Amino acid sequence: MVLVLALGDLHVPHRAADLPPKFKSMLVPGKIQHIICTGNLCIKEIHDYLKTICPDLHIVRGEFDEDARYPENKTLTIGQFKLGLCHGHQVIPWGDLDSLAMLQRQLGVDILVTGHTHQFTAYKHEGGVVINPGSATGAYSSINQDVNPSFVLMDIDGFRAVVYVYELIDGEVKVDKIEFKKPPTSNSAP
Amino acid sequence: MVPSEIETLGDESDHRFANLRGVRWRLNLGVLPFHSSSSIDDLRKSTAESRRRYAALRRRLLIDPHLSKHVRNSPDLSIDNPLSQNPDSTWSRFFRNAELEKTLDQDLSRLYPEHWTYFQAPGCQGMLRRILLLWCLKHPEYGYRQGMHELLAPLLYVLHVDVDRLSEVRKSYEDHFTDRFDGLSFEERDVTYNFDFKKFLEDFTDDEIGGIQGSSKKIKSLDELDPEIQSIVRLSDAYGAEGELGIVLSEKFMEHDAYCMFDALMNGAHGCVAMAGFFAYSPATGSHTGLPPVLEACTAFYHLLSFVDSSLHSHLVELGVEPQYFGLRWLRVLFGREFLLQDLLIVWDEIFSADNTTRTDEDNNTNQSYKIFDSPRGALISGMAVSMILCLRSSLLATENAASCLQRLLNFPEKIDVRKIIEKAKSLQTLALDDDVRSSALSINDGFDQSISPAVPARTNSFPSGSTSPKSPLIIAPQSYWEEKWRVLHQAAEEEKQSPSVQKKKPWFRVKRLFRTESEPTHNAKSSNGKSEVKVSSVARNLLEDFNRQLVAEPEEANRIDVVNIEDSSIRETEEMNTDFETAGEESIAVEENSSDVSSDPNSPLRDSNYIENDSDSSNESDLFPNETVTDQETRVVDSPLSISSQPSMEFPVTQSKDQETDVVDSPLPVSSEPSIEFPVTQSHEEEDSADKSVAIIKERSKVLPGKFQWFWKFGRNLAAEETRSNSGESNKSNLVCSSESPSLPQASSSSSKGDTDQKVMNTLKNLGNSMLEHIQVIESVFQQERGQVQAGLIENLSKTNLVEKGQITAMTALKELRKISNLLLEM
Repeated sequence: MVLVLALGDLHVPHRAADLPPKFKSMLVPGKIQHIICTGNLCIKEIHDYLKTICPDLHIVRGEFDEDARYPENKTLTIGQFKLGLCHGHQVIPWGDLDSLAMLQRQLGVDILVTGHTHQFTAYKHEGGVVINPGSATGAYSSINQDVNPSFVLMDIDGFRAVVYVYELIDGEVKVDKIEFKKPPTSNSAP
Repeated sequence: MVPSEIETLGDESDHRFANLRGVRWRLNLGVLPFHSSSSIDDLRKSTAESRRRYAALRRRLLIDPHLSKHVRNSPDLSIDNPLSQNPDSTWSRFFRNAELEKTLDQDLSRLYPEHWTYFQAPGCQGMLRRILLLWCLKHPEYGYRQGMHELLAPLLYVLHVDVDRLSEVRKSYEDHFTDRFDGLSFEERDVTYNFDFKKFLEDFTDDEIGGIQGSSKKIKSLDELDPEIQSIVRLSDAYGAEGELGIVLSEKFMEHDAYCMFDALMNGAHGCVAMAGFFAYSPATGSHTGLPPVLEACTAFYHLLSFVDSSLHSHLVELGVEPQYFGLRWLRVLFGREFLLQDLLIVWDEIFSADNTTRTDEDNNTNQSYKIFDSPRGALISGMAVSMILCLRSSLLATENAASCLQRLLNFPEKIDVRKIIEKAKSLQTLALDDDVRSSALSINDGFDQSISPAVPARTNSFPSGSTSPKSPLIIAPQSYWEEKWRVLHQAAEEEKQSPSVQKKKPWFRVKRLFRTESEPTHNAKSSNGKSEVKVSSVARNLLEDFNRQLVAEPEEANRIDVVNIEDSSIRETEEMNTDFETAGEESIAVEENSSDVSSDPNSPLRDSNYIENDSDSSNESDLFPNETVTDQETRVVDSPLSISSQPSMEFPVTQSKDQETDVVDSPLPVSSEPSIEFPVTQSHEEEDSADKSVAIIKERSKVLPGKFQWFWKFGRNLAAEETRSNSGESNKSNLVCSSESPSLPQASSSSSKGDTDQKVMNTLKNLGNSMLEHIQVIESVFQQERGQVQAGLIENLSKTNLVEKGQITAMTALKELRKISNLLLEM
């Protein structure tokens, strides 16, 4: 029962002031075990805020991040799943599933989390899941002006992962759920 | 239930399940039916039922949000997501449970570290956690409180022990446990399955007819067994009533059983003592004291203590040791922290076997007493608490400090005979159940509940003294420490008044105190004046001289008389010199005779001031003091040397007493040492009296004395060693006497040399003191004589009678002299 929060592309303070209050009220410390952030926070204050929600914080570098020390890619293992993290501006075309799948194979992970498009997507394909949590603040992107704030919460329990998507549509929080089971094979995806 | 019934039932259950604590406790707690008529089948049925209940509860309350059955019929994801703020969502419940589990884990990880292997095993921990979690969820009004886990742990342990016993029995009595499916025993079957239909039928029919026989065979063989083993077998038969669920001793269902026991314990099984109540913070409904139940129970057992041992009770109350400081822990965990696990199991055996039904009384007024006394179990718990306090009685009475009292109460010694405590507790239980105790609790409740009518039942007055003390735990503020000390010492002094000869301990104690504080004045004395040194030694010698006189006087009655006479004459001489002295001596004698020692406490502060002033006094000795102040200063000066003198005097008789103990010989000598012990004691009495102005004054003057006294002392020593009764002693004694005279002469001379009124006074005091001492010696020697006669039988009959007469005469004269002196002193 590991809860993993995936979010990113906040662009605070340049494109957005802060997370929506409804999101903030939901993110209480103590429930979440890990946070994975796709990048573009951009400032340290957001980093600290995320730290207060959960001390285990994994961030990768987005093109607007002011802290240059974040890595480009990151992989970690939670439960039985390998997770991969990348901002996504490196993968061209941006948001293309095949390219992302290539990255996934390259990193050797079951779940790949990327951002940059500011649009929530979740693809299941052979071998794995590619998740884009969107922009948590609803900041505009270079390809999309009208963005709904969104983020993703993953509930990883052994071989099973349940993905909850939280979107703020017209001032209301909408939740959706995707379930994903990893086949318990001894040889994982190469 | 009527007590007699309870006992018979208890006996029965004991008989049936003597070694199966788990079953016994389940019977006692109400998990299983307690009636004597209940058969094994009934037990199995109720076991199964309780287990079912638990399983349902667990399914309901233990939340796994992943399982679809927890999700509502129309899963509304906006509610049922993990981050949902909605308190009804499964996830919120899940998180709440997780919080609770975290709290539980904190306690469970520290549970019974000394039995680590069992209690810290993850399986056991998991069971404990689940049980506690479910109970707390079921009873949200109580929540989880620290201590509940310690109530649960022994219950689980006991079940575990039973299961172990079962496996032991299984090993030794395998036959009875074999799985006789349809009466066929599979071991007999061939490995290759040749199904012989005919044979099968035969067997089958055999079983039908002989099945009964077979089973009767089984039962017969069962009956041959120990009834205990028998019951174990039947309890664990997989095919008995309710099948597997009904196996009473089952490892699989340990969690269920433990939960049921815990629940029953906490709820009190519709009885009086509900442990859950001890964890509540608010007063129970219908409580007459308006206190939370645990505080009420604490005051209840303090109340019981006040009946049993009011001195200890008042001591604790005055120190401010409230019962709840230690009582909270004792009661909430039912003494779990005070005893080792094995001892605790014995204690709980007793507590659980006591019935828990609330007694109903005809008189409505009596339900105003403490709730805990309303059932035998509650009374036993209070009795247990009181007997534990009584166990520590001596160490508690010894401390004057609330903190150390609490320390002793909270660190209950481990190596203790639990049986004794339990027996005592049982006797206290009957006391607690006694109506008088309960109804006298009314007096307390009056303080709390004004609405109670003054119509107190008349039968309360069997313990009238108790009625005042119970109030103290809660209402009266403790008196100040010094007040109490003074009172205690004053009482001690009063007691001494009445029986000085008996109270040997206390005087020794007091003398010892003097001893301790004396180092000061010795330093002072030595530092300030060489004279005071003389003082010290001279005083010491003088006392030794007195002692020697006794020794000397004793073997030779004629000599004694001579001595006495000579002493008298010497006294008279001195008396002639100074009448004032007599009065001074008289005073001290009066004091001594009445043994009206003002309590030593005023003396001690006095003494302290004495010592402080001693410096200035001794330094200013040559200077003059007006008459009024003279006496005061003299007393001060007196006190210090006197007290110093008591030091050696104490030593000397101590050694003598040691000799006494070691010497088995029946000689008058040991006898003499006894009164000599008393002598310095009385001496100390005198010393303590501020009005005593006697010996020391003399000593400070006489420089000649030391040498003589030293000689006396040596002589006395010799006497003691040799136990001489020879006539050679006579000449020695006369010498002694003469020398005793001579000291008094130089005293007088020295006094005249100084020639001031103050000195005169001091001399008179000196002499008075001397004479007084001598008189005392005389009297004592007479008694010794008589005693010596009795014990040693060394004196011939003729001389005996003479002696007796003479002795009496001398005693009488001495007494008269003493009286005179005392009168004079009084006048002064």
